Amino acid sequence: MRPLALSIGDPSGIGPEVILQAWLRRDQDKLSPFYVLGDPALLAARARHLGLDVPLCEAEPEAAESAFDNRLPVAPLENRLTDSAGQPETVNAAGVIEAISRAVTDTVESRAAAVVTAPIAKKPLYDAGFRFPGHTEFLGHLAEELTGRPATPVMMLAGPDLRTVPVTVHQALAGVPETLTQALVEEIARITHRELRQRFGIAEPRLAIAGLNPHAGEGGAMGTEDRDVIAPAIHALQEDGINAFGPLPADTMFHARARAGYDAALCMYHDQALIPVKTIAFDETVNVTLGLPFIRTSPDHGTAFDIAGRGIARPDSLIAAIRLARRLSDNTDTIK
Amino acid sequence: MQQSRIAFAIGDPAGISPELSARILADEKANLGDLIVIGDQRVLALGARQAGLSLDLPVVPREALEGDLPEGTVLVDMGNCDPENVPIGEASMEGGRAALDNFAAALKVGKAGLAKAVFFTPFNKHAMRLAKSDYVDEIGFIDATIEAERSGREFNVLDEVWNARVTSHIPLRDVADKLSVDRIYESLKLTTEVMEGAGIKRPRIGVAALNPHAGDGRNFGWEDEDILLPAVERAQQEQLAVTGPIPSDTVFVRAIRGEFDAVMTMYHDQGQIAMKLLGFDRGVTLIAGYPFPIVTPAHGTAYDIAGKGIADTGATFNALALGRRLGDELGSQNGAEASASHERQAVSG
Repeated sequence: MRPLALSIGDPSGIGPEVILQAWLRRDQDKLSPFYVLGDPALLAARARHLGLDVPLCEAEPEAAESAFDNRLPVAPLENRLTDSAGQPETVNAAGVIEAISRAVTDTVESRAAAVVTAPIAKKPLYDAGFRFPGHTEFLGHLAEELTGRPATPVMMLAGPDLRTVPVTVHQALAGVPETLTQALVEEIARITHRELRQRFGIAEPRLAIAGLNPHAGEGGAMGTEDRDVIAPAIHALQEDGINAFGPLPADTMFHARARAGYDAALCMYHDQALIPVKTIAFDETVNVTLGLPFIRTSPDHGTAFDIAGRGIARPDSLIAAIRLARRLSDNTDTIK
Repeated sequence: MQQSRIAFAIGDPAGISPELSARILADEKANLGDLIVIGDQRVLALGARQAGLSLDLPVVPREALEGDLPEGTVLVDMGNCDPENVPIGEASMEGGRAALDNFAAALKVGKAGLAKAVFFTPFNKHAMRLAKSDYVDEIGFIDATIEAERSGREFNVLDEVWNARVTSHIPLRDVADKLSVDRIYESLKLTTEVMEGAGIKRPRIGVAALNPHAGDGRNFGWEDEDILLPAVERAQQEQLAVTGPIPSDTVFVRAIRGEFDAVMTMYHDQGQIAMKLLGFDRGVTLIAGYPFPIVTPAHGTAYDIAGKGIADTGATFNALALGRRLGDELGSQNGAEASASHERQAVSG
């Protein structure tokens, strides 16, 4: 079984400690083997600091599976990481980026089964010259570089009983209506539909499409985009045999009875997708990137510098991300 | 004299309103106090049949609203709706007209000082518009009906968490332009006043950010830093217990965990998504800022289950309980002012 490649994330955040804790829960949570793209010295120091008994070994992906039972395998980075929990360091940017790139490369080269990323913070990366709005966009760029084919990365939030996909993501709310086009709604819906079939193993995915405006615009009384942009997109998807429906009023589409009627909800903006998943399952939501030639998941929390190194961060979301990455890669292998 | 009754308007007869009304009125354990029930006797009888129970209320004709209402709980038979003419589970002009008539009568009862609060079971906006083409929303209708000096505000109340919003039924593309430091500050101040009026001393309010990640240091929009933050700071200088802006995907979770008494949201769905998720069957909508509180269940007419006898009165009960609590608080505050002015008169006289 190929292991999962875990990028360490910002080492000043809670990434290292939740990775250590996840490894400690490998039996309890039946976690399949993974290895960390990171700095063994920093991980060892963080384990000592927190009193966690985590023996490490340096290992390339091929050796990770056999090592995993007894030791946490770490593939060392070329860039050293400075250990300063709670204090983000610009000097760590090169190592943080290297960890992501190598996790992706290992996966694209089939040495690893999927990518799991620990959280990064934008500011130290920006200060070092990084120019992508977030992980997702950077992964799309890496995918294009490695495969020579264009990729449209699509963000999905997957909780225990709700999956949401924001059509627009990291942008100001005021700009959302301009960004939202019929073509964009259709494209994101098609990618979501395809990956629900191929990676999630859902034969006939049902897509609930949210409206943009209050009460989905009430027929144009409170905004026209629902009628003029979203509804035509849904119509076109239906013409192609995709089970998509809406636009639905966003405030009544997420309760349990409504959720039972679909496999994913397509949302028009970031918080429309994030509010419901976090409200339902704060600690167990996973961020999945669709539309890439490889599988990538991550916990949906941030670096949490304010509590880093104190041993109070919960590994639940990372564990959920590890488990989902394994499940999706198993499904994909089966289909291949 | 302080009024002890609540005016209870029966809403859209095509939905679950008749059943909810009958169930809650028949519930002796609900301890609702005395009610002035306003609606057609035949509609309430329909609700009783739907719920499979019997109701026995003293009935007075609608003219009694102009004259002497007997003490205790009474049904004012408005004679405005024959259920035979209202298709169950559909918006109709007949249903909308009756709901509007009942609501207007209840508001007038409130304005006349005959009730300490107004309650209504759910309306259907489409039916309201069939009956009254220029109907926009409850607030506009209340303003016109009672000739209010200033408009009220809508709040959602779920257990211990309140939600107020700065903008409401407007297109999402207009939201950012409508936000200003003054407007947000005024909303925070009014929310604090209304909540203190409900007996919540110095309510702690979490302010939801407009943009993803609260703008992420101006990477995703500037409003959080340049509009929301100054409004919060101004409120803090005025000793209001306000925190924010907080990314809107975590602010409700923090409120539910007990960190805030209220969440101030910037637009309709920002608050409605979380509130409806957290308590679809329990939430209450409060319209405050008028001389009397107006309360209703947060859920709608539920046409899909109308007439099936399975409607849940949880939110209806919560709405009446909140109306009673707020009405008592407002009444005692007004009473204190009134007796103070009596004393002044007595002194000057």
